[in-house]
Amino acid sequence: MATRVDPNFMHDLEKFGVKNWKDCFHCGNCTAICQLTEKDILFPRKTIRQAQMGLKDKLASNGDPWLCYYCGECSETCPRDANPGEIMMALRRYLTSIYDWTGFSGFLYKSFTAHLFVMLFLFFAVIISFLLFGGLMLSELTPAGGVQLNTFAHPEMIATIDHILLLSLSLFLITNILNMYYKVIVKDKSVKIPIWIYISEIGEAVVHFATQLRFSKCNKSRMYWFGHWFLMIGYVTMFIFIIFFLTWFQTEDIHAWYHPQRLIGYIITAGFLFGTVYFMIGRVRKKKEIFKYSHHSDWIFVVLLFMVALTGILIHIFRVNGLPFATYYSYIIHLAFEVPMVVTFVAFSKWSHLAYRPLAIYFTNMKKKASALQLKSKLSVAV
Amino acid sequence: MEEVRIGVYVCWCGNNIAKMVDVEDVSREMETLPNVVISRDYKYMCSDPGQDLIISDVKKHKLNRVVVAACSPRIHELTFRKALENAGLNPYMFQMANIREHVSWVHRSRENATKKAKSLVAAAINRIQWHEALNKRSVEIDPATLIVGGGISGISAALEIADSGKQVYLVEKTSQLGGYAAQIDLISPFMYNAAQLINPKIEHVYIHPNIKVFLNTQIEEISGYIGNFETKITNSENQSIELKFGNIILAIGLSTFNPSKIQNYKYGIIPDVVTSLELEQVLKSGKILTNDGNVPQNIAIIHCVGSRNSNYHEYCSRLCCKNALKYSNLVRSAIPDANIFEIYADMRAMGNGCEELYSATSLKNVMFLMFDQKNGLPEVREASSKDNCKMLIEFDEKLSGERIEVPADLVILMVAKEAHKEAKKLAQTVGISMCGNQFFIERHPKLDPVATTTDGIYVVGSCQAPKDIPDSVAQARAAAARILGTINKGSVEVEVTTAKVNEDTCCGCQTCISVCPYTAISFDEEKQVSVVNEVLCKGCGTCGSACPTGAIRSQHFTDRQILSQIKGLLDKSFELQEG
Repeated sequence: MATRVDPNFMHDLEKFGVKNWKDCFHCGNCTAICQLTEKDILFPRKTIRQAQMGLKDKLASNGDPWLCYYCGECSETCPRDANPGEIMMALRRYLTSIYDWTGFSGFLYKSFTAHLFVMLFLFFAVIISFLLFGGLMLSELTPAGGVQLNTFAHPEMIATIDHILLLSLSLFLITNILNMYYKVIVKDKSVKIPIWIYISEIGEAVVHFATQLRFSKCNKSRMYWFGHWFLMIGYVTMFIFIIFFLTWFQTEDIHAWYHPQRLIGYIITAGFLFGTVYFMIGRVRKKKEIFKYSHHSDWIFVVLLFMVALTGILIHIFRVNGLPFATYYSYIIHLAFEVPMVVTFVAFSKWSHLAYRPLAIYFTNMKKKASALQLKSKLSVAV
Repeated sequence: MEEVRIGVYVCWCGNNIAKMVDVEDVSREMETLPNVVISRDYKYMCSDPGQDLIISDVKKHKLNRVVVAACSPRIHELTFRKALENAGLNPYMFQMANIREHVSWVHRSRENATKKAKSLVAAAINRIQWHEALNKRSVEIDPATLIVGGGISGISAALEIADSGKQVYLVEKTSQLGGYAAQIDLISPFMYNAAQLINPKIEHVYIHPNIKVFLNTQIEEISGYIGNFETKITNSENQSIELKFGNIILAIGLSTFNPSKIQNYKYGIIPDVVTSLELEQVLKSGKILTNDGNVPQNIAIIHCVGSRNSNYHEYCSRLCCKNALKYSNLVRSAIPDANIFEIYADMRAMGNGCEELYSATSLKNVMFLMFDQKNGLPEVREASSKDNCKMLIEFDEKLSGERIEVPADLVILMVAKEAHKEAKKLAQTVGISMCGNQFFIERHPKLDPVATTTDGIYVVGSCQAPKDIPDSVAQARAAAARILGTINKGSVEVEVTTAKVNEDTCCGCQTCISVCPYTAISFDEEKQVSVVNEVLCKGCGTCGSACPTGAIRSQHFTDRQILSQIKGLLDKSFELQEG
């Protein structure tokens, strides 16, 4: 079946951060240097060609852009400075937007102003709601009364809001994932995947998710891999604790420094700080290929994460030193950064790659195995 | 017969020969052979003192034949023939033995090399006994020139020659001058307006006192040879005119491939599939419209239609890629929001400004899609009503490996350039050769790309191979310069080592006529014998070896000369030893 070309597709993709795509003349150096490309999964060149020709269905049905971790070697090797790595990055943003059936993701990605507006709206919404309905109005909170964080922001109330937020975002993310599954697996009629392959491939996907070992195959920059992994681990840990164990995590008692609650908090903070500072310095210096081109979503994401970490540290310092109102204000600001970050990124932007990338690896491995089986059975019929 | 007195000169060529051949020994031994009056060796025979040595010996010893054993005759034969002339001898009383390229440079055993050198020199000495004096001949050049074809090549050559004050007859088959260039709108890659460039030239031709233009005229027959050609033409008023001229320029240009031969493209079936040449007419009209008068939204340009495909033409037509890029640019400026597709096999836009045009075009939102001729050609089909376009072009896109379809409302076929339909007939008329694709063949593909193997006939422009305007003009002016040179000289020397027919022994079988590559032999019906035109004859010897009765004698390569040379070569006294 022939696929229809779309000459205007690349112009749409430019809004997702593609540059210099016209310069690519398909020498294939990018694919030759790439550590992750395989015999039948040829990226970046082939993926770029599909994009150049506007074969949208092909792009949607293969998860190839997710298999790339952007080490940047392709862009360094490119003799035409066409930035294959950045094209793959932009394609990941594009894929995120087409998995999202609400269209909100495309809205955030295509316009910096839109994203900034949504973010500021949520930021002030959090502050205003705390000022109007929150703990600052409570008369029992006095400077003399010491830090009473759980009175100021009742953990159960916060947890309820967390859960509502989690539920709605999960709903979006899961429907997006189903959409991805539909595009990558269901719509691709070329392979049929037996149930047992779904089960047999899960293990590897989980290992890749937890370790990002695939990334370490890229022989560039172990430091980058560590920063990325540490940030991811920090984030996932924080996520688990504030969603499921907030009452234990947010306490009035000041534990000893070696108490697990504090240690976990420190590890999360270290992951956040290390990852975000490393990324921010990189994006400012633009020395590494991966940091040379920054889409607005990259900056907003990393700055929000950094601010969340920074305000988290402030809460801790003020709380430990018994400064109640400083603690409360920091707490408001902390949430004012946290909420827009979660709302705009988890299901609709950069954060979602935490789900899409391991799934793409999972789907690709399933397809690979299934098509190998199909070929084998075809051959045995032929014999 | 006078007494044969031979002088033999063995050259050292510095160390080139002397290092491997015992030149003194060779020289000593040759002196013992019959009729050799004097034998010498010298460091550089080609130097002035070397030549003076020959001249003084000829005078002192009354030599009448000279053998020089040195390098290749291709290098110094003319030098020594001149020396003989200066000494008062006929230049053909000379023979050269090549003991450098054939001996010292290619052998390792000094002993055997010396023996081989002796054999070669002895062969030359044996041969030269039978040399005959041949006299140089020259023919007068008629200063008029016939130019066949009134395209940009013919026009350029005509103006160049006529401006130097010489007569030009310009014969054009159609009713107007300008040729292919007059049919196009803008010229790639710099987008000159073709009419603005060519019309003034055409005007110049018409009013030039030294140019006579014959429109609607074809050449039926040409007779004669360099300097003295003639033809009879019939002009538009049905008058028969006889023309005489010294040189001919063939500038008949090219034809274009008929794309209906390739069924995939549906040319002639779907009206919105047009050739590049038809598009030029559309562009000249100022508006790009489809057959039903709408502005096309999707324009597809298919390259290599009939080119680089062994089923049609194996060669590259050379002009199409840059023309196709031109169309992309013109369509883009005429219909800014159109989707433009260049469906190409390989991008071969070469020449001044063309790569730049390619780069510039690729920035104008033109989609370049590659196909592989080996995997089948793109297939054009009519689209259905829901496709939102008139046609769909389906093919395997090479760079992605995907089977794709391209929407199109207008398909432009970049048709191959092929030899002019009349080329074969004209080649036979004037007696020049064609390549397998029926383009005229030049004398030498590298060193003489303007002349043909027939003296006085030149090929310029696209009748030799597809060419763009600057190349055609350059070749036309080069041919003009060559012709003006011969006219200026007034005469040209012609080959004297030609074939001669012995009318007494010729049986009239005409074998020689069929083998002669230069159409130099004709048949005398009255005497029933073959006659060689010595001006056309190049002395290749083909007729001499084909003649069943031995009636044809190739001068300077007579049977007796060659047989005695072989005899000298086989002389037992110089036989090589094994190893």
